[in-house]
Amino acid sequence: MNTNNRIKSTTDTISAKLKILAREKENVRQKLIITARRLALTAKEKEIVRRKLLVTAKQLAANAEKIAQANTYARSLIEVSLDPLVTISPKGKITDVNEATIKVTGVSRQKLIGTDFSKYFTEPKKALAGYKKVFREGSVTDYPLTIRSETGKLTNVLYNASVYKDDKGIVLGVFAAARDYTRAKKANELLAVTAKQLAVAAKEKEDVRRRLVVTAKEKESIRRTLAVTASKLKKSHLTLEEKVLGRTKDLEQIRSKHEAILTSIGDGLVVVDKEGKITYINKTFEEMLGWKPKEILGKTMVDVVPREDMHGVGVSFKERILTQVLGGQKFVVDLTNPFYYIRKDKSRFPASSIVAPVVLNKKIVGAVEVFRDITKEKEIDKAKTEFVSLASHQLRTPLSTVNWYTEMLLSGDVGEVTLEQKNYLEEIYNGNQRMVDLVNTLLDVSRIELGTFFVDSKPTDVVKLTQSVMSEQQPQVDEKNIKLSSSFENNIPMIHTDPKLLRMVLQNLLSNAIKYTPDAGAIALSLSLDTKKNVLLKITDTGYGIPADQQDKIFTKLFRADNVIGKDTEGTGLGLYIAKSIIEQSGGKLWFESEEHKGTVFYATLPLERRKKERAS
Amino acid sequence: MKPTSTNRTILLIEDERPLVSVIKAKLINAGFDVVTARTIDQGLGYMEDIEAIEAVWLDHYLPGNKTGLDFIATLKAPGSKWVNAPVFVVSNTASDANLRTYLRLGVTKYFVKAEHRLDEISNDIKTFLDSEQE
Repeated sequence: MNTNNRIKSTTDTISAKLKILAREKENVRQKLIITARRLALTAKEKEIVRRKLLVTAKQLAANAEKIAQANTYARSLIEVSLDPLVTISPKGKITDVNEATIKVTGVSRQKLIGTDFSKYFTEPKKALAGYKKVFREGSVTDYPLTIRSETGKLTNVLYNASVYKDDKGIVLGVFAAARDYTRAKKANELLAVTAKQLAVAAKEKEDVRRRLVVTAKEKESIRRTLAVTASKLKKSHLTLEEKVLGRTKDLEQIRSKHEAILTSIGDGLVVVDKEGKITYINKTFEEMLGWKPKEILGKTMVDVVPREDMHGVGVSFKERILTQVLGGQKFVVDLTNPFYYIRKDKSRFPASSIVAPVVLNKKIVGAVEVFRDITKEKEIDKAKTEFVSLASHQLRTPLSTVNWYTEMLLSGDVGEVTLEQKNYLEEIYNGNQRMVDLVNTLLDVSRIELGTFFVDSKPTDVVKLTQSVMSEQQPQVDEKNIKLSSSFENNIPMIHTDPKLLRMVLQNLLSNAIKYTPDAGAIALSLSLDTKKNVLLKITDTGYGIPADQQDKIFTKLFRADNVIGKDTEGTGLGLYIAKSIIEQSGGKLWFESEEHKGTVFYATLPLERRKKERAS
Repeated sequence: MKPTSTNRTILLIEDERPLVSVIKAKLINAGFDVVTARTIDQGLGYMEDIEAIEAVWLDHYLPGNKTGLDFIATLKAPGSKWVNAPVFVVSNTASDANLRTYLRLGVTKYFVKAEHRLDEISNDIKTFLDSEQE
């Protein structure tokens, strides 16, 4: 053993010991680390738990908040409910109410809570029974009760109620909700009333229905009668229909016949409205005047077709017969007064026409004019007049023979005749003279009609001429003891006229006055100047007059009034016709006023101005 | 013919026999010598042959195709020797137009037979011829 060994041993020992110690120390350190670790872990766990706790607390707080919110929400729901809500304990005491309950009962919340539920109803027993039923069965629905408020007001309600339990299933109480059905009840009552009314109405309806049934029966019988009538009607209708059809056919035929007549009528036909505008013309109109309907329909007839008189002078609108007829004149036959119609191409033809108004409901709505081309008639008329003229001329020769032989006998050229023979010869002579006059008159008429009157106009003293005619007829005036007077206006100038023709007029008018005035009557003759530059001749008599109904014919050729035919057998009925023709041809007018048994006034005008258009053929 | 007669000679142209007789009788009674013709040509022939004819009584319508107008037309033609011969037309049948033509051609007077006495006509002719002579 060396020290070193020892030391070494010792050192070894010590080192060994130290090693052991270090090991132990390491163990402890290790243990300590573990413990420390453990401790650290525990702290950590503790912290986690703490945190968990914190979280839980927070959650709890939040939950509490939520619960409080839910409670408030539930509460407010309960409070705002219009239906009375109430909770009742198992012993029947009110544990809570809402505002609606307070309102309906009229009792405050404090007073309500803890009181018997059933005491607030008109039938507490029924209320009690209902609440027991809830406990027994768990719920009731529409349980009818009537709440009586403190003021006595009744509210009809229907209860829905159910029990509520805790989480272990133990019943805690009843929740009951009432529904006010007063309004519904009223509505029901209203319904009941309405129902009654409906019933009444139904009854009335029934009555009506019954009546209707009766009516229906009557109706049925009427229907049957009607059916019979109907079938009769149907039969007659069929007959009627046939008749109508037949009639329509007839009418159609008549219409087309009329149309055909109008179209093919040989006379020109024109229909005008009340303004004189053309509304219809027939085919002959077209052919005669050269106008087509489309050219003149709607135009004024008087403008479209001008008219000229026989002297070729245009007839004014006013003078047109059509105008006069539309103006209210009844009916105008214009056959005796021929005229010329002017065609579209300005040529003309002689025509005569008849114009009649179209009267509807007593109003003139238009006029119809029918006119004819009288060229042929005029030719025939001319031939007739020429025949009369020729015959008259020829008659004159034997008349002259009788005249002159009688004259010779009377004048004693062929020896003396006895007085008696002379008287006989004078009768022959006078009779022959009358025949000569008649023939001359006929010749005058034919001259007028042929337009061959020889007019030899010259300045003529009318006053002198008149006086001459008066003195010529003085013997006849004296014979009838008639008072003939005359008056002549001063300063009547000479007028340009044919004295021979004017003499004829004066002779005619004066001899008529004498002939048709009874013995001891009066005739007044005057000449004056009128305002229109005419000499006016006026012959007034106190004679028989012209009957009113014959006055329009007095200027007609060969016409003689009834009242004088028996009084004078010599008249020819030609004098006034000739006189009028002469006066009118010289531009004057001849007319009269007369009253039977009182007398007649004849007027004639003689123009002072020389006539422009004088017919001298 | 009758050169010794102092009577005026008148040519009567008329075809109607009874009228010729009565006119002739009247004119002779009135102091005329009368030459009668029935047609225009006959009349014109007498005018040529008998210088003594101083006046003509003329009817209008006459047999043949000539009338009194033709007679007058010849008589009064320019250069005719009878231009101044007085002619009296006495007719029943002439128209107004013819009447005017006669007057235009220069006949002395126109009478309508039926309207005048024989006296009147013969006196008128006489009066006219007397006045011509003065």
